Amino acid sequence: MKEAISLNVPGVCGMGLHFELDGFRLIYLAIAVLMWSVSGIFSLEYMAHYKKRSRYYLFFWATFFATAGVFLSADFYTTFIFFEIMSFTSYVWVAFDEKKESLRAAQTYLAVAIIGGMVMLMGMFLLYDLCGTLRFDELEGMAGQILKGRRRLQLYAAGGLLLFGFGAKAGCFPLHIWLPKAHPVAPAPASALLSGILTKTGIFGIIAVSLMMFGTDGEWGMLIAGLGLITMLLGALLALFSVNLKRTLACSSVSQIGFILTGIGMSCLLQAAGEDNGLAVRGTFLHMVNHSLFKLVLFLCAAAVYMNLHELDLNKIRGFGRKKPVLMFCFSMGALGISGMPLWSGYISKTLLHESIVEYTQVLEGMKLAGESMPGIGGNPVFWHGAEWLFLISGGMTAAYMLKLWIALFAEPDPDFQAEIDGENRSAESILQTFSGYEAHKDCVKPDAHTSSMKWDFYPKCMRKTSAAALIMAAVLLPLFGLFPHSFMDGMADMAQGFFGKSGHAHLVSYFSAGNLKGGAISLGIGIVLYGVVVRRWMRKDGQYVDRWPSWLDLENLLYRPVLQVALPGICGAVCGFVDRYLVSSAVTVFLAASAVVCRGMDQMADGVIRAARFSTHSQIPRAAAFGTNTEGRGTGGPGSCVRERRARFFSVLARLREQVQRNGRLVEESFSFGLMLFAIGLCLTLGYLLLVFWLQLG
Amino acid sequence: MGGMVMAVPVLLPIAGGAGMLALHFQSEEKRDDRLLGLLVEGLVLANSLVIFWLLKNHMGGNLVLFRLFGNLTVRFKLDLMGGTFAGLIAFLWPLAVLYSFEYMKHESRKRMFFAYYVMTYGVTAGIALAGNLVTMYLCYEMLTLVTFPLVLFPMTKEAKRASRRYLYYSIGGAAFAFIGLVFVLSYSVTGNTEFMPGGILSPEASKARRNLLLLVYVLAFFGFGVKAALFPLHGWLPRAAVAPTPVTALLHAVAVVKSGAFAILRLTYFSYGASFLQGTWAQWVVMAGALLTIGYGSTMAVREIHWKRRLAYSTISNLSYILFGAALMSPLGLAAALSHLVIHAFMKICSFFCAGAVMHQTGKTQVYELDGLGRKMPVVFGCLFIASLSLMGIPLFGGFISKWNLAQAAFSCGSRTGGWLPYAGVGVILYSALMTGIYMMSVLVRAYFPVLTAGAEERQQTKGEGADRGLTGETGQEVSGSPKADNKKTAQKEYGDPGWMMLVPLVIFAGVIVLLGVRSAPLMELLKRIGGEAG
Repeated sequence: MKEAISLNVPGVCGMGLHFELDGFRLIYLAIAVLMWSVSGIFSLEYMAHYKKRSRYYLFFWATFFATAGVFLSADFYTTFIFFEIMSFTSYVWVAFDEKKESLRAAQTYLAVAIIGGMVMLMGMFLLYDLCGTLRFDELEGMAGQILKGRRRLQLYAAGGLLLFGFGAKAGCFPLHIWLPKAHPVAPAPASALLSGILTKTGIFGIIAVSLMMFGTDGEWGMLIAGLGLITMLLGALLALFSVNLKRTLACSSVSQIGFILTGIGMSCLLQAAGEDNGLAVRGTFLHMVNHSLFKLVLFLCAAAVYMNLHELDLNKIRGFGRKKPVLMFCFSMGALGISGMPLWSGYISKTLLHESIVEYTQVLEGMKLAGESMPGIGGNPVFWHGAEWLFLISGGMTAAYMLKLWIALFAEPDPDFQAEIDGENRSAESILQTFSGYEAHKDCVKPDAHTSSMKWDFYPKCMRKTSAAALIMAAVLLPLFGLFPHSFMDGMADMAQGFFGKSGHAHLVSYFSAGNLKGGAISLGIGIVLYGVVVRRWMRKDGQYVDRWPSWLDLENLLYRPVLQVALPGICGAVCGFVDRYLVSSAVTVFLAASAVVCRGMDQMADGVIRAARFSTHSQIPRAAAFGTNTEGRGTGGPGSCVRERRARFFSVLARLREQVQRNGRLVEESFSFGLMLFAIGLCLTLGYLLLVFWLQLG
Repeated sequence: MGGMVMAVPVLLPIAGGAGMLALHFQSEEKRDDRLLGLLVEGLVLANSLVIFWLLKNHMGGNLVLFRLFGNLTVRFKLDLMGGTFAGLIAFLWPLAVLYSFEYMKHESRKRMFFAYYVMTYGVTAGIALAGNLVTMYLCYEMLTLVTFPLVLFPMTKEAKRASRRYLYYSIGGAAFAFIGLVFVLSYSVTGNTEFMPGGILSPEASKARRNLLLLVYVLAFFGFGVKAALFPLHGWLPRAAVAPTPVTALLHAVAVVKSGAFAILRLTYFSYGASFLQGTWAQWVVMAGALLTIGYGSTMAVREIHWKRRLAYSTISNLSYILFGAALMSPLGLAAALSHLVIHAFMKICSFFCAGAVMHQTGKTQVYELDGLGRKMPVVFGCLFIASLSLMGIPLFGGFISKWNLAQAAFSCGSRTGGWLPYAGVGVILYSALMTGIYMMSVLVRAYFPVLTAGAEERQQTKGEGADRGLTGETGQEVSGSPKADNKKTAQKEYGDPGWMMLVPLVIFAGVIVLLGVRSAPLMELLKRIGGEAG
């Protein structure tokens, strides 16, 4: 596809949406459709005995549209919008069966999604402020200018924040924590999508950030490649230790994401060194595609296991795959592909990635010979030799853990119930017995006597025909791509590389040359040795697989949960609570008390003047008489009643009035003079003040 | 007659409410209730229609109701910003009244409740339409007085204490605001307190008395900030959550608190003028206050387990988003603040009404009691879901739009003035969004994915049996046999969605949130125009 189709929807959601359809997006859209339809077909069977199917399907398809939106987006704003929707709709997958561990895993997933989203939003704000646009095509030029300019650091900050947000979804170290938790508890067809394509939306974002903004920046490339190498090794290590089928696959996803990130890093580094980065770009893209397909196949195989046994523990599912050719074929295709076996598709992409590391090493060596060198550790060819070995070892570990799974599933017989698992002895009774051996889950299958024979009929086949057909279709693609790399894989890479900012045809790589085969062979050799020594000798005890990973060594429990659940709300909350309870309340109390004291004091002050005046200069008429006039209306006892008596005996009404007027007159006179006195005091004070001011001004 | 109509939205509800207090119904009978209901709804609806009519035909109208003395007049004016606020309350009030009928069905003293509820409408409209600072101050004080009986309404000891606190805080705050009023009057170029875009301070005075005026601005900001629940003057708001939900929802999430924020916007952009305040220490002080409140409110909301109080803390935090927008002192800041003012009104009233509906139906007030209610009350929790996502700032919902604009305004303010505080502000907003995620999602997760208790475990098992039967059926059809349903009924009392009078407002609010989220361009254009004029 040469010309990209773009679509603008202005005005929606504030800034408007921008979509584009180029080769990369077309391929990924096709993969999304493929993955959703295959796992959708599989879900029909997998979900058949769940009650809340309608909820599952609603969010299943909602996530499809959101994911498609992410892949079609042509600016970060649109990406973000669909990204958030996708995070929330896929949350329901993880929390689906509402068990305790599912809810905990869902909590982790949601926390990572929300925090990732917020950080990404922050990065977008910063980026928009810097560049004034969020469109990929416009950013490319703007970012290049800013990188040369004064606000370089801000661009790095924006990129870092975006990387955090997208990396959280991709499962990049150290934000990979949600993958091993969420995948095992989600329904298996959903895990296939989570692992196969939702993580790729994160990668999509990282590609956009890395190649559009920092395409020519060596330091950025170094960062991504470093993260990629760590993620690759760590994921493989986790997968090797795991004894749970889906958890192994989830950790394997982390590891494979590491491969892809390494590829992105190499693309940046090669471009920064002024070389052709075709190998890295194509390797990255093809590994993305491959990984999506591997995980689709492998997780659906796990789904087939789970829907029969309701178990994922390697010790309990041992030997399940024996005499089940469809399952064995599909799983083998996936396993061989992901291990990088020549003739399968994984080999092609891994070879390209490997070659790109080798190429960069050679470039650096060439520079060293010419007397120049790149600064820092990334400029040293020795580092990249190490990286190459790391790459090969991680590939070897991939082979080792896939071998572990394969042997557990298909080679080792179950010590107790093998015959029943194989479905050779089909009498209802023995099946009941078998099943009671595996019975661990509440909502697993409890056969009723009259239906059991019908139910177990499909048991040896382990899945329905439609599901099997869909699965086989996906599995066949892997050797097909691997056998004809030039027609399929190169074609796809040619279509997609435009998105990576690359045009023109790369030179043809002879995938099956001796040098390339050697790399693959070393990797596989390491894998077999690792399996033979580490897995068989160390990770098995009394014929059982044991998890040798120290259980305390869990980044989530060790770091994130304490920080997020205890430290952050605890400390902030305690501070706020303290402030609320003690500071604000006591401030109010203290203020009220203090103001009361002050006011009372001031009250007393004025009163004091009045009282002093009353006792000294303005001593008033005798108390009893004053009482007589004042309390008349009140009619209380004591002096009042005495007055009333006198009045009745001696005075006429007129006389009483006269006296009243006289007294009132006297009172008014006295009050007036009292008021005058207060006024005089005020005047004196003012005069004093004026004199003071005058004096101050003079002096 | 056009001019005089301006006073109608203010005076009609006040007169109506006062009349209602004077009116005597013979008894608290059902027929009387209905009559009262029709009367109130009719009054409110008529008033809203008048407001909409005014918005359509009399934009820019001006009316001097009477003259206090000298230059001080009580004046109503309909400009774009006031019109936005007036339109907002005119939209919300009839729906809130509708909701209250059902909510208050079993309460006594309805007459008094609705009388003050209607009067508050008039007073709030007065704030929206006020044409100068004096009128606004007048309405602002009146607002305290007419809402005081509403907080007091439950007449419990707690309610009495809460209402007393509310009164102290509000009156005290208004005193500080009064200082602002006096200074604006004495240093204004026009000799009165008219609201003019760009401010009315005389240039000489603002040069000579710069620091004094800034100090007064800070005082007035915090004074009006009492109603907008600015830390540390927020204490009344969470406690006032004892009031009936229609009161807390409409008054304490929209009318009262938004009046405070609106007053601050008026003071900042129409009395002082953004250009005077920009880059001064006063700006940083008030911005720091707003940011502190954002962080404080959302953190406290996480700690709170009483649902309505949690929402009240969330209100505290969200109101300071508006104040943060005000403190940015730029046209974009004003637009962002107004957008949050409008959108937050819908989100918060929707969440409060959901909390109220749950309280009304089940009597549950604490967050931990909400287990598994999500499926029993699908409409209520559906609306809550939308409101929560919007509060968190998830795209497709209104909250995202205002947060986006706020952050844009903050960044442009930061790069223009060179201060670091606006940048920190964006960080604080994101922290708060994270906290919002925790305190809103924890409610939803509880409601939809209940933690299994002993009784629920049993139900889960029956579900498992159903699952088995489903598998047996091979067709994938699930068996919803009657025994299971019976079992469920005996296991737990059934709760359901409330009646239509509660649901209609909820659904409309949720719809508006989504509508604003998807198609915000007309609103934002309007608000940016206001910002452009005022800045």
